[in-house]
Amino acid sequence: MQDMQNGDSPQEVNQVGDTEDPSKFLGDIIGAPVVVKLNSDIVFRGTLQSVDGYMNISLERCREVDHNNKVVRDYGEAFVRGNNVIYICLDDGSV
Amino acid sequence: MEDKEEANNEPLDLVRLCIDEMVVVKLRGDRELKGRLHAYDSHCNLVLGDAEETIYVADDEDEDEPSRVRTITKKLEMLFVRGDSVVLIAPHAPIVH
Amino acid sequence: MTTENVLPLELIDKCIGSPIWVIMNGGKEFAGRLLGFDDYVNMVLEDVTEIDPIGGDKKLPKILLNGNNVCMMVPGGDGVSTFDDEEK
Repeated sequence: MQDMQNGDSPQEVNQVGDTEDPSKFLGDIIGAPVVVKLNSDIVFRGTLQSVDGYMNISLERCREVDHNNKVVRDYGEAFVRGNNVIYICLDDGSV
Repeated sequence: MEDKEEANNEPLDLVRLCIDEMVVVKLRGDRELKGRLHAYDSHCNLVLGDAEETIYVADDEDEDEPSRVRTITKKLEMLFVRGDSVVLIAPHAPIVH
Repeated sequence: MTTENVLPLELIDKCIGSPIWVIMNGGKEFAGRLLGFDDYVNMVLEDVTEIDPIGGDKKLPKILLNGNNVCMMVPGGDGVSTFDDEEK
């Protein structure tokens, strides 16, 4: 590891081209199918309509699924309050 | 009313579209509310009218049997919901645009 | 090498593109490649393993992890305990 001082710019190390900060990722996945996991281990699947700074989410075709991906509830459109969200995962069919 | 929401809208716009409509609100602690949404704010504090609260209680007196879920429902004429207990808000029936 | 003056977020910034192990407040863990993060330590992770001792591990292609419940982040970690005698 190279020497680093307080105040040094951390930029030099990571200009690899595949850097992707949260806001870019969110911009890229609007309109895509996603899996949203909550703190309470509840999982929702749906199409991501929008996200705001609190990680509030609106989902189209929102379904609550259990551990075996079985649909337990179909909400249609839904708003999910952001403080409950652990992660938003791009759903490429493998999850 | 817009007939199709666009991607650049924010999530709370969905809640705005539910004003005066019947909504389902999922709360922390396996509770659920159905009612008419009279008001909301950015914290998701809600005012619901003609509401019905459903509480899901796991009935597991016998550990060997799969636990059955019992529900308790209460009718509430008007109530205020503090936003921090809100998990999900969804229109109860599809909104007719 | 001076390690005492590395600011916390600089350390994490150095991890971009590398594997990282994230431990959440609730005990849940995530291991994956860090693609980016913001001031709240919300993170974008790729090729993620969600480590859940009870529910079992789960593979996730790409996630945005909410920084709100993050407890610890371990650079280079893959979620495999290095305190275990059986490990190298």
